[in-house]
Amino acid sequence: MSLEIESMVRYTSPINPAVFPHLTLLLLGIGIFFTAWFFVYEVTSTKVSRDLFKELLLSLVASLFSGFGILFLLLWVGIYV
Amino acid sequence: TFVFPANSDGVYFRLLRCQMSKIKMLPAMAKLRISFVFLLYILIKCESANVDSISSDIRLKNVDRLVDISSQLVKITSKITLENTGASPVKNFLIAVEESAKNNVAFVGAKDSNNKDLRLVETTVKGYEYVRFWRVELKDAINSGATPLVTVETVFTKALLPYPTAITQQEDQLVKYIGNLYTYSPYYITSMKTSVVLNTKSVETFTKVKPFTQQDGMIQYGPYPNLKPFSEKELLIHYKNNAPFLTVTRVERLIEVSHWGNIAVEEVIEVEHTGAKLKGPFSRYDYQQDHHSGPASVRSYKTLLPASASDVYYRDTNGNISTSNMKVKKDSVELDLRPRYPLFGGWRTHYTLGYNVPSYEYLYQSGSDYLLKMRIIDHIFDDMQVDEVVTKIILPEGSTSVKVNLPYPVTRLPDSLHYTYLDTKGRPVISFSKKNVVENHIQDFQLRYTFPRLLMLQEPLLVVGFLFTLFLCVIIYVRLDFSIHKSEHPHKE
Repeated sequence: MSLEIESMVRYTSPINPAVFPHLTLLLLGIGIFFTAWFFVYEVTSTKVSRDLFKELLLSLVASLFSGFGILFLLLWVGIYV
Repeated sequence: TFVFPANSDGVYFRLLRCQMSKIKMLPAMAKLRISFVFLLYILIKCESANVDSISSDIRLKNVDRLVDISSQLVKITSKITLENTGASPVKNFLIAVEESAKNNVAFVGAKDSNNKDLRLVETTVKGYEYVRFWRVELKDAINSGATPLVTVETVFTKALLPYPTAITQQEDQLVKYIGNLYTYSPYYITSMKTSVVLNTKSVETFTKVKPFTQQDGMIQYGPYPNLKPFSEKELLIHYKNNAPFLTVTRVERLIEVSHWGNIAVEEVIEVEHTGAKLKGPFSRYDYQQDHHSGPASVRSYKTLLPASASDVYYRDTNGNISTSNMKVKKDSVELDLRPRYPLFGGWRTHYTLGYNVPSYEYLYQSGSDYLLKMRIIDHIFDDMQVDEVVTKIILPEGSTSVKVNLPYPVTRLPDSLHYTYLDTKGRPVISFSKKNVVENHIQDFQLRYTFPRLLMLQEPLLVVGFLFTLFLCVIIYVRLDFSIHKSEHPHKE
């Protein structure tokens, strides 16, 4: 812990704050697309034609993209979590 | 002679027993001795840390004292030429503050002739318990006959008393300064001068001890030769002082560190006008009509923020205070804050000021070790006096092994937790407070902590997990059948 300030580097965010808006739009766009696909699939498929693997895959992709999208949306609007 | 062997045997046995007991005793004895020596060492150490003696070798050859009472603070800058009249070199010397002013001292600092800060330690001297002493550690010892120059700065708060204590809206504020005409010092002073800066020509009364001159808002006293140690003579000046008498009764500074590249600063500030109280009514009409009305009141003041400050907000419990201006300058952001109403004596206001700064200005990294270097308190207005400052630093969730390095002693408050967006177990909060703070206390603290970088993924994964559970609920829901009767026409395949 006896590190001196001279030997340390200035800390910058792993993602440049300037690209937060672009990331938000891109990730949330993809997220919403997959969410829509998931819900469309849920209401159109029948008991027999339903495929659990496809449902899980769609929901996982949708939640991953939407989750990161929401995070960058928060950062964009100034809620620095 | 026959007895001898037996006797010698006895002696031998006794010796052996003695030696055995010695072997058993030795560690205990050694421990005792070591602990005794340690105690003595601590005692000596304590004595040397807390109690000093006045060296008779030191003399103050010349003291040039500047007393600035043109603002609400009393700032005394003394240029002291020290002299070592003894034979042995001297490493340190003492600064004293008289009993009448010792509770008003906010800051004491010393600089050598190269303008480098010298280390100060508060200390006491036996027989002078009523005096406050500081020991100044010199960089180079003063050799016999040497005369180095040292600049000592002391700042006093609440040392100017409004007199009369209440004035009407149109009146000027008169204040009284009661101080010491001489430098209060434990050493013999060969010669000294005092200059008082008033920045006004309207002086009601002032102490007249010859020789003195008064010109251009300044009164000069001295030189006075050959002063004994601890000499005191009352210096009373009653003069006009319309400088803003604003006291920040409490400021809470909140620093929130985010590893997504931002540091948010928020200050909750309570301000009170502590000059002469307003007597009689307040007429808004007169105040707006005539710009010379209410000379002792405060219409607005300037706050300086760091140059990289952005997203500044200035609000109170009612919401945004729109009467403010922001100017971005080269090395700072200047805010011209105008409270909702002018501040007269005894009036107070309360507001919140916040802004964001990028993390690369104040946060340093090496592996998973981080160092935050920021100001304990920042500028609120010129010549500010702050009764109490509470600084809270909110670190990212999951930070451990926190260490704080402070430039001057503060009261460390117990650590707590802060809960905000996407938190699970709370963010660690480091807080400390300090009373009686002035501009000289605007200095950096250093806070070290460890934060594993992977923990940054915790927040997005929380959102991902939440959304995924929602989707799972839908998947389960569509498989449930809530109909109360069996479907007559089952779906065709």
